[in-house]
Amino acid sequence: MARRYDSRTTIFSPEGRLYQIEYAMEAISHAGTVLGVLAKDGVVLAAEKRVTGKLLDLSSAKEGGGYGGSGEKMFLLNSNVIAGVAGITSDANSLVNFARTVAQQHLMQYNDDIPVELLAQRLCDMKQGYTQFGGLRPFGVSLLYAGYDPHYHFQLYHSDPSGNYSGWKATCIGANNGTAQSLLKQEYKDDIGVEEAIGLVLRVMSKTMDSTTLGSEKLEFAVLTYDEVAKAPKAKIYKPAEIDALLRAQGLAKKDEDTEMKS
Amino acid sequence: METSFALTGKGYVIVAADTTAARSIVKMKVDQDKIKDLSPHLLMAYSGEPGDTVQFAEFVERNIRLYQIRNLYPLRPAAAASWIRRSLAESLRSRKPYSVNLLLGGYDTSLHTPNLYWVDYLGTVVEVPFAAHGYGSYFALSLLDRYHDPEASLEEGLATLKRCIDEVSKRLVIDPGKYKVKVVDKDGIREVEI
Amino acid sequence: MSIMELNGGSVIAMVGKDCVAIASDLRLGNQALGISSNYQRIFPVTDRVYVGLPGLATDVTTLRERFRYRVNMYTIKEEREIEPETFAHLVSSTLYEHRFGPYFIEPVMAGLSKTPSGGYKPFIAATDLIGCLNFAKDFVVAGTASAKLFGVAEGLWEPDLEAEDLFETISQTLLNAVDRDAYSGWGAIVHVITKDKIITRTLKARMD
Repeated sequence: MARRYDSRTTIFSPEGRLYQIEYAMEAISHAGTVLGVLAKDGVVLAAEKRVTGKLLDLSSAKEGGGYGGSGEKMFLLNSNVIAGVAGITSDANSLVNFARTVAQQHLMQYNDDIPVELLAQRLCDMKQGYTQFGGLRPFGVSLLYAGYDPHYHFQLYHSDPSGNYSGWKATCIGANNGTAQSLLKQEYKDDIGVEEAIGLVLRVMSKTMDSTTLGSEKLEFAVLTYDEVAKAPKAKIYKPAEIDALLRAQGLAKKDEDTEMKS
Repeated sequence: METSFALTGKGYVIVAADTTAARSIVKMKVDQDKIKDLSPHLLMAYSGEPGDTVQFAEFVERNIRLYQIRNLYPLRPAAAASWIRRSLAESLRSRKPYSVNLLLGGYDTSLHTPNLYWVDYLGTVVEVPFAAHGYGSYFALSLLDRYHDPEASLEEGLATLKRCIDEVSKRLVIDPGKYKVKVVDKDGIREVEI
Repeated sequence: MSIMELNGGSVIAMVGKDCVAIASDLRLGNQALGISSNYQRIFPVTDRVYVGLPGLATDVTTLRERFRYRVNMYTIKEEREIEPETFAHLVSSTLYEHRFGPYFIEPVMAGLSKTPSGGYKPFIAATDLIGCLNFAKDFVVAGTASAKLFGVAEGLWEPDLEAEDLFETISQTLLNAVDRDAYSGWGAIVHVITKDKIITRTLKARMD
């Protein structure tokens, strides 16, 4: 019976549900986890990569224009907002491109970085359009927005395919998000600092990720802080070498297997 | 021709505009308010083509208020100036451009500084310590070069403004007569008697 | 009265030894009436590329905002900073888009471009108001005092000037040229770009 109502996005089912949107969210629950934690002096994002392997060619990864360069899951939307995406990668690329143009349009009109919530709203307005007009399928992407603006300082938002968004202190999307969410609920403290948040994020990631140990081949990491000297937000998407160094510093790095065998 | 002045001081901006609405040789109205309150801490004095002036000023006022309603907080003076400038720049190359010159005076409540912008109908914007539009500017600007003090108190600022008004009354063929003077500072906008 | 002469202002860029310099006056006027003695018309594009925009002031702001938009999109998507030559072509194409309703600006660009060996080469360029590029080897000038700037620069410039000498040369060129032009002057600013840093100095100029 549900079959007749789910082939078109713009139609409600008799029970009052929009099936296409629910199916989109189902697609996202199979995607790589993205985790975000809001600290009082920064926002931390981490993501599990799904496209990995020896044959993957990463040699052309460039310097990143000062902020580190995007990967499969993390993207710089504007100098004050980083996004972590979970879902269909090509849909995500399209949304990220849209977000980037929106942020630049705002900069052109107001000579000011776009407020984080406003950027999330613009993306959500677009996503909502795809659930009501045109007969096109919704975007199969959920995003986490980590950003800073002078009004509300550090913020973390989550938006889903329905076009709904909310602000979070800590949240998780993608595979195993339930586990991660409950871990975060237990361990999160309101006045957490960014250093502690990094540790918290990495610990929760190691417990929820499919692989046994963390390493830069499977993990993407980004932090948004505020540079007091430049008086501007500072976005940093970590390069693989930096991720490994960070994991070693936190004591979560992959142990050298050969040494393990010997002892 | 419409005259307006503005000057900054220690934590405030004074904006003044004449109150005459004239058509050819007739003064149609002598108590016209040519300074709009765009937001709790932003003033805009306008002058130029009759009709265009009020249309554009109200267009700006409503859009600034809309931003404030939609986004919970008002635009800072710098961002508002940028939006207003862009509206004029887009209008310039349209079928019929707005012919309106503005003086934007505001107090930035997050940076705690006064800001004053001189804007012309082409969309030229420059932040200045003092400014004027109209024929009166030819008399006022040199006086302000000499007597303006960016750290002056409000009384001293108003005294400097009075010099400008008196000079224009004395030397401009068509004396505007009365002026409306408004001040914006950390406490908001208020009108003062000069 | 030409539209290019409504607001006044001039810009010059010069090549030195492993450095470039770009300088402009600070006057903004409304024909003969001076409005501001602190009007910036040179803007940083990246750490190594600067652009000067003399001409109609409203278009100065509009173009600066448009270039910032396009360069930001380039940086985010390409994941690297834009090179001076690429930026020059971006300027040219932006201006040509408005071939039959142009921006009244004649941009001047200065920067250091990366060489394959990892070093830096000085780069300057200028365009006319519809985007015709000029890649000079010595100096480029634009604005109301351009004719005067050409004259003084031709006399004072020599190749391979070190950063400090380049600063002196470009400063004297600018100061003396704008003093002969009614619509330029009221202050001057000079940026000297080397591979390690950028030194910005405001000059003491005749304020008449």
